[in-house]
Amino acid sequence: MASVAQRVHSIASDVFGVPAQRIFPDSSPVTLERWDSTQHLTFVLALEESFQLQFSPEETERIRTIGDAVKLVEEKIQVEGK
Amino acid sequence: MPIAIESYREEHQNAVRAFNQRLRAGTSEPDLVFYEQCHSAWLPKLDGSPLYNKYFVAQEDGAVHGAYALKYEHFFSPEQGEFVVACYHHSLSEGIIDRRYFSVGGLLLRDAVRREPMLYALGMGGYDQPLPKMLKAMGWELRSVPFYFNVVHPYRFLRQMRVLRQSFLQRWMMDLAAFSGIGWTALEAWQKTKRMRVSSDLGSVEAVKVEEFADWADKLWLEAKDAYHLASVRDHRTLTRLYPHSQKHLTKLCVYQQGRPIGWAVVGERRNDPKYGSLRVGSIVDCWALPTNAKQIIYCAALELEANGMNLIVSNQSHKQWRRALEECGFFAAESNFVFATSKKFSGLLQKSDFGQFHLNRANGDGLPGNF
Repeated sequence: MASVAQRVHSIASDVFGVPAQRIFPDSSPVTLERWDSTQHLTFVLALEESFQLQFSPEETERIRTIGDAVKLVEEKIQVEGK
Repeated sequence: MPIAIESYREEHQNAVRAFNQRLRAGTSEPDLVFYEQCHSAWLPKLDGSPLYNKYFVAQEDGAVHGAYALKYEHFFSPEQGEFVVACYHHSLSEGIIDRRYFSVGGLLLRDAVRREPMLYALGMGGYDQPLPKMLKAMGWELRSVPFYFNVVHPYRFLRQMRVLRQSFLQRWMMDLAAFSGIGWTALEAWQKTKRMRVSSDLGSVEAVKVEEFADWADKLWLEAKDAYHLASVRDHRTLTRLYPHSQKHLTKLCVYQQGRPIGWAVVGERRNDPKYGSLRVGSIVDCWALPTNAKQIIYCAALELEANGMNLIVSNQSHKQWRRALEECGFFAAESNFVFATSKKFSGLLQKSDFGQFHLNRANGDGLPGNF
């Protein structure tokens, strides 16, 4: 079964239109050209759907890099016991 | 501190001014700014009125990085009766000029949905704009409200088309395959013939300018509301708020047939827009009647705008009979960038309804009163 990080990278690859091998923990709107406000929202929604989670506005704002997204999802999963 | 979205209060006004300054400096669009007064000058909240604006700001440590507005109003459908909906409009994110704030646009939208799940947005400049894309990502339903135009002075229009070169006006005319090669005098003759045919069909129709809406507007609202699958409430009280006596930029017409009011229209000249060059553009902003009387209303509205010197008349209408009325009065359809988007909850309510029987037009969007 794929790890959280692998799944998040795969989602990011789909949303930002970049091969998974080019998604890194420090990938961000600075390094991924298609990471704009619309794609950020799409990314957040895709994470919510894939992991069956709901992010608060504060949590959404914490996602500044792919690594932030992985960390947040792992924390939420631990807290919600999924 | 994380970004917090809250009701716009007086204490935020200086921060909103600073936000607007940054937006002006960072974009070439002077209108891309938020309201600098926290209390809406247009449609302020009044006791007992279901129609009002509320503003919200996204602030972090006292600085504003985004904002949006909700226009609360009542819609009506025969199935649901009257219900509350809010129009999501004027959303602005600092992310458009500073990528550090790329998340703000999404935060604003999700905040709005949390506050009011029954939401719509209207206008937005077309499907390829950032907001419609975000709405689609959020699972909203998007449909375009058809656009029509009537060229009052074809020669003037043609001259402006040459000036505007590859403008969208040229694209409109290119779509008029039926007229290619025929010439402009033929276009003028065709439109006049259409108008004369309508005029002889309609018998004793007369439009009277009114300073304000009165009880007759209530009768017309009640008479026609069940004929539409969806309409925003257009009773006397709502119309008086939307088009008060003091507002002079728009003309209010009551249309009579055989001495009895059968409908009304609100028309006006759009403010100068570079994409139209020096053309004077009139708009059929709002209108109401039984669908079977749409032609009379459109005819009178167009005549009034023509009499006021408009070179071009435009209208967006969703209802199929109003659209047919426009065509019968000599209007052409063209590509529309006027998008009607409904939130998941609102879309759910409208599942069994036919969009071609919704009554939506320009007045439902975010252009009032600023575009006139």
